[in-house]
Amino acid sequence: MPATQPADILRACGIPFEASTEALGEVVRLDADRIADALAALYESGYDFLVDLFATDTGERIEVTWHVRAFAEHADLYLKALVDYDGAAPSVWHIHPAALYPEREAAELLGMTFTGHPNPKRLLTSDGAEPFLRKSVLIRTAEEVRRPS
Amino acid sequence: MTDEPRVTMPITAEGTTFPGPLPCGLRCIPRGVDELATEHLVLNMGPQHPSTHGVLHILVELDGEEVIAAEASLGYLHRGIEKLAESRRYHQVPTLLDRADYISGLHSETAWALTVEKLAGIEVPRKASWLRALLMELNRYASHLVWLGTFGMDAGAMAPFLYIMRDREMLLDIIEAITGSRMMFNYVRPGGVAADLPTGVDAKIRAWLDVADTYLDENDALLGGNEIFRLRMKGTGVIDRATALAFGMTGGCLRASGVDYDLRRDVPYCAYPELDFEVPLGVRGDNMDRYDVRVGEMRQCIRLIRQLIDGMPEGEPSGKRSRVLKVPAGESYAAVESPRGELGIHLVSDGGFTPYRMRLRSPAYFNLAVVDEALAGGLIADAIVTLGSLDIVLGEIDR
Repeated sequence: MPATQPADILRACGIPFEASTEALGEVVRLDADRIADALAALYESGYDFLVDLFATDTGERIEVTWHVRAFAEHADLYLKALVDYDGAAPSVWHIHPAALYPEREAAELLGMTFTGHPNPKRLLTSDGAEPFLRKSVLIRTAEEVRRPS
Repeated sequence: MTDEPRVTMPITAEGTTFPGPLPCGLRCIPRGVDELATEHLVLNMGPQHPSTHGVLHILVELDGEEVIAAEASLGYLHRGIEKLAESRRYHQVPTLLDRADYISGLHSETAWALTVEKLAGIEVPRKASWLRALLMELNRYASHLVWLGTFGMDAGAMAPFLYIMRDREMLLDIIEAITGSRMMFNYVRPGGVAADLPTGVDAKIRAWLDVADTYLDENDALLGGNEIFRLRMKGTGVIDRATALAFGMTGGCLRASGVDYDLRRDVPYCAYPELDFEVPLGVRGDNMDRYDVRVGEMRQCIRLIRQLIDGMPEGEPSGKRSRVLKVPAGESYAAVESPRGELGIHLVSDGGFTPYRMRLRSPAYFNLAVVDEALAGGLIADAIVTLGSLDIVLGEIDR
């Protein structure tokens, strides 16, 4: 683990958060508006590699996950924030350029926006495609999954 | 024109030059052709183009032959694998993942198996771990061969491709004998692997190992031993260490930029902690370094396969597998070092029969994002080579 714990870094910046150790690893939950501040502070403390960024539809809201790594120590950290449907989270491309593609992808597939993205075009789907990673878009019913024909 | 002509000549009122004595027998003053406007040209490379390695569309802005900016336009192969996985049972997902990275399907299958096993707490027999590692190394070698051949073609060398495909055929025969399929394997399952090594395949692998070094030396001599090829690779498509890290690059591309990071060694999985291998590194992060790192990796592959086949333990290839797998609610992430880099799968389960959300962290997707940085400032001919050196697979990028 890095010399400074992620919780200490965020506390020093005055960012409200909730930290927990889950099956996934170290998870920090915080407000979407503070995510850029949190990632910038973590970047300075060694979490300088964005492994992945993706969003999940929880059924009520969209949960965005930022997976960062302190490269020197092989320590992974997951930051999670909830965003409303059609809501917005700040883009973090100026801290991690690796976020450029996944932010565009999450925006089109979940129907949300990343404010401040320099090129907020669709990445994978064409114009008019619905945000199909939302749970409201069905491609197979639960019954069909349980008893495949 | 602000430049003064070197020879002062009388000019008529109409602007034409007097025929007078000109130096060196020139016919006229070399003023050039005026009023020729130069503008940037936006060129569409792909989606149907032999050197875009799939259906990739790259927009390049050119000033003459120099690339000013580049942007990748993706999605031509998007099938919504992540959404499809949400309506498949846990055992059915590997068939989708085979079609994500279709050159090295065993890596994504193993990443899936490791993720599910991590969340469900399934123990894997030692034999299965070794079989997974063996198959992954065979698959890595086959994948690197495809890269080596197509990379040569991008640089204009057709002949090595034919020899390389002959070598790959031997490997695909071995993989087919073990898994039953040449490319769409569905061999690695949560809990183990589908089948043990069949009789006789051991001799087949050893026969390949006997010639593998020679074949690789020959192929390397054809490409890497070619002075023209080397001169073209050196200093082009430079991606420095900071850029590589900022764009989330992993695998051979990252190691060519001098970052010593390999999941097989640093976050070990399967049989890798018991194996002995080296991680080749580059310095400058140019095309030559990426070539050298991958060819170095192929040599390590041969070494690993030899160790894996010599030390293959006895035992069952799979633990007890239930017909319908239910995974407790929660999240997990596991990653393997695929031929292209860190292939990770993030699984969210709600405790049901199917995954709630499956996210594929595709290495080529992140490696490709660097094209704008890597191509700008270079020549259009080098852009093709640089793109080839990134070793992208569009099935995995578009998912």
